[in-house]
Amino acid sequence: MTDSAATPNAPAAPPHARRVVVTGMGAICAVGNDVPAVWDAIRSGRSGIAPITRFDATGFETTFAGEVKDFDPAATLGRKEYRRLDRYSQLAIVAAREAVAQAGIDIASDPTRVGVMIGSAMGGMETLEAGVETVVTQGPKRVSPFFMPMMLPNMASGNVAIDLGAKGPNFAAVSACASSAHAIGESLQMIRDGRADAIVAGGSEAPITRMGVAGFNAMGALSTRNDDPAGASRPFDAGRDGFVLAEGAAVIVMEELQHALDRGATILGEVRGYATTDDANHMVQPGPGGEGIARAMDLALADAGLTTTDIQYINAHGTSTQLNEKLETEGLKKAFGDRAYQIPLSSTKSMTGHLLGTAGSLEAVITLCAMRDGILPPTINQVTPDPDCDLDCIPNVARAVQATYAMSNSMGFGGHNVSLILGAASTVPASR
Amino acid sequence: MQDPTPSSRRVVVTGMGTISALGLDLPATWSAVIAGGTGIAPITRFDASEFPTTFAAEVKGFDPAVLGRKEHRRMDRVTQFAVVAAREAVASAGLDTSSAPERIAVIVGTAMGGIETYSENVRTLMAHGPRRISPFAVPMAIPNMAPGCVAIDIGAKGPNFAIASSFTGGANAIVEGARMIRAGRADVAVVGGSEAPITPIVSAGFAAMGALSDRNDDPHHAVKPFDLHRNGCVLGEGAAMLVLEDRQRAIARGATILAEVAGGANTADAFHQVALPDDGEGLVRAMRGALAEAGIAPDGIGYLNAHGTATEMNDRVEAAVIHTVFGADTPPVSSTKAATGHTLGAAGALEAAIAIEALRHGILPPTRNHDDDDPGIALDVIPNVARKARIDAVMSNSMGFGGHNTVLVFTRPA
Repeated sequence: MTDSAATPNAPAAPPHARRVVVTGMGAICAVGNDVPAVWDAIRSGRSGIAPITRFDATGFETTFAGEVKDFDPAATLGRKEYRRLDRYSQLAIVAAREAVAQAGIDIASDPTRVGVMIGSAMGGMETLEAGVETVVTQGPKRVSPFFMPMMLPNMASGNVAIDLGAKGPNFAAVSACASSAHAIGESLQMIRDGRADAIVAGGSEAPITRMGVAGFNAMGALSTRNDDPAGASRPFDAGRDGFVLAEGAAVIVMEELQHALDRGATILGEVRGYATTDDANHMVQPGPGGEGIARAMDLALADAGLTTTDIQYINAHGTSTQLNEKLETEGLKKAFGDRAYQIPLSSTKSMTGHLLGTAGSLEAVITLCAMRDGILPPTINQVTPDPDCDLDCIPNVARAVQATYAMSNSMGFGGHNVSLILGAASTVPASR
Repeated sequence: MQDPTPSSRRVVVTGMGTISALGLDLPATWSAVIAGGTGIAPITRFDASEFPTTFAAEVKGFDPAVLGRKEHRRMDRVTQFAVVAAREAVASAGLDTSSAPERIAVIVGTAMGGIETYSENVRTLMAHGPRRISPFAVPMAIPNMAPGCVAIDIGAKGPNFAIASSFTGGANAIVEGARMIRAGRADVAVVGGSEAPITPIVSAGFAAMGALSDRNDDPHHAVKPFDLHRNGCVLGEGAAMLVLEDRQRAIARGATILAEVAGGANTADAFHQVALPDDGEGLVRAMRGALAEAGIAPDGIGYLNAHGTATEMNDRVEAAVIHTVFGADTPPVSSTKAATGHTLGAAGALEAAIAIEALRHGILPPTRNHDDDDPGIALDVIPNVARKARIDAVMSNSMGFGGHNTVLVFTRPA
């Protein structure tokens, strides 16, 4: 690790009467099955990418992915219950339970004031594919009565609410690879509005299916570095050749500040600002010049009552595709000007792979851990610099920097852009 | 033009567009609804002869080439519907979307997105292997492409996402769009729902749950909301989009205000994946929440467009909830799903549009196919024939698998 000094900032209080803090975090993904394991891998620069085991990928252009390992859904969720949950719902429940346990929040004491919002790009893909296969091979009357509730993309949100007994606002934000960033942002707005006091928010995705891999392969979106899975996700590197499909869930407990203080909760950080924009340009390509994501960054800073000088770390979208990082770099320069060169940023997709709808919430969890421990995670697999991506992407090795405010960006097919501003626990008053 | 204190901003509806089994635009849908028509007929979109239910509410006479000869091939039917309905809504609002496009949000509710694209590509994969999948399979299948393509079509660069909440998605999109405008995050929101579920897998999936009527010999009379002999819903397809606008902005540009979005609420049952609690507690809270936000007492509601799917459980629980919320003095209630079919994620928006038309025209749409009262329901369901009534506020209920409840209240523009 290298050392670097950070300048502490003292910006004004945020321009919203109700502030929203994070009191619990949960995650399960290719690099670990809970937040401590995930963060340990990320700060150490360990990849979770490996050959696909969830189906026989022989004959597919890409044969590796970021799979969750050693997860026994029957043991965790019950022998009967887990069969009625698509994998993406199983993963969501696991992450939500971890987050709620850490928060120590008693949902039963006021269940109608606790919402759930779990974003997903695709929902129950594995169930959907098996169901179509059943119709084709055995006929329509052999489809399971559990098919529909397992497949629908809102069911992670519904199932988490059932599991926790949370009766407040509930839906799934769906915006491809920005879904869980939207879920966190819209939850922020809901709590600010007074529609809930706490929301269990995040994302879940289980896309490592035959159609998931074949569909993204058909677009030329996936890395095909089959001989080197761990080296395949290389955001910002000149040799990047596509993203790595990955699965998992990440969930945070978002809570109104006073509500958290009143119950003596440990505050892990603040969701300080949020903005979302659309490129309105092309179905799958980011907008020219990174205009849409730059606008999201500008608006999120304004929403947070901060300026570019306050941001000390950026968790980039950084998918490891040629076009994404080129345009994202342009967008960062547009939003931050010359300061873009001075802010360390990283794409942790280099280790986790791309969890699609989960990416935004997983990267929010990672960013909160980074600010808690004063360690900025690296972008691994940096071998050949790309002159189009000339910002400081914390190549290969984590860096000791105590960041107090950070930004996490997400972009999705459909032209969706989300920028979240997160604050370290030290930026939140311990009482008021 | 933006109100300096966003929380005081009021939100109005200035445009609406629909495409449904009853017609390709809102005037056609509305006139068929009040005439007691139905769009339900035998399925033509696939060979349903071996399926438990062989009828559905399909959109008829739709030529997707109106979206562009090349463009329409790159959109699943769910996205085509959303774009068509959004165009009608924007045109009827007289909205210039090139003016401050970054202040225009788009939110579309959909239960399942491009399910036809997805399931057809799974068949291709099974038959021909992974390398025969279309590069458009993923972008056409993902549910957010409906709002994504609406944004591209009208040039809206503000907040944009899809809402999946099974059958409340369209209603949730309206709630969230109104909230966004009130919070000052947008000045205009083009919001609603879209669904194109009439596919083998969805038909088989709903039939496996026992959710669909199987009166295959009489499709026109199969769906009987609130009737003693109801035996299930029927799949419907279509979209409905509304233009929501900051009221001051709408007044300043001389727009015709169709209604005010007075209240909206969203709750979860946290009870069961697909079953409802007998007391419908979550729906009670959503209805009361929407009334409270609107500042309207229950007796101020002149018409309620019910969720009314015509399943035994839904209609029984929803009726009990209506009695809980309104007491002895329940308003006239109808379910228009006997006409439109159950359009899933589009339903909440389609029924909001119908409820707003009822408010504007003073005509309450009937519940079709109502022959025998269910003694357990005891509601005025406006049986079979539309009714004239001057009303000042309407409510629209939506419920969905996963335990979602969303309720909207619209009022006559002040």
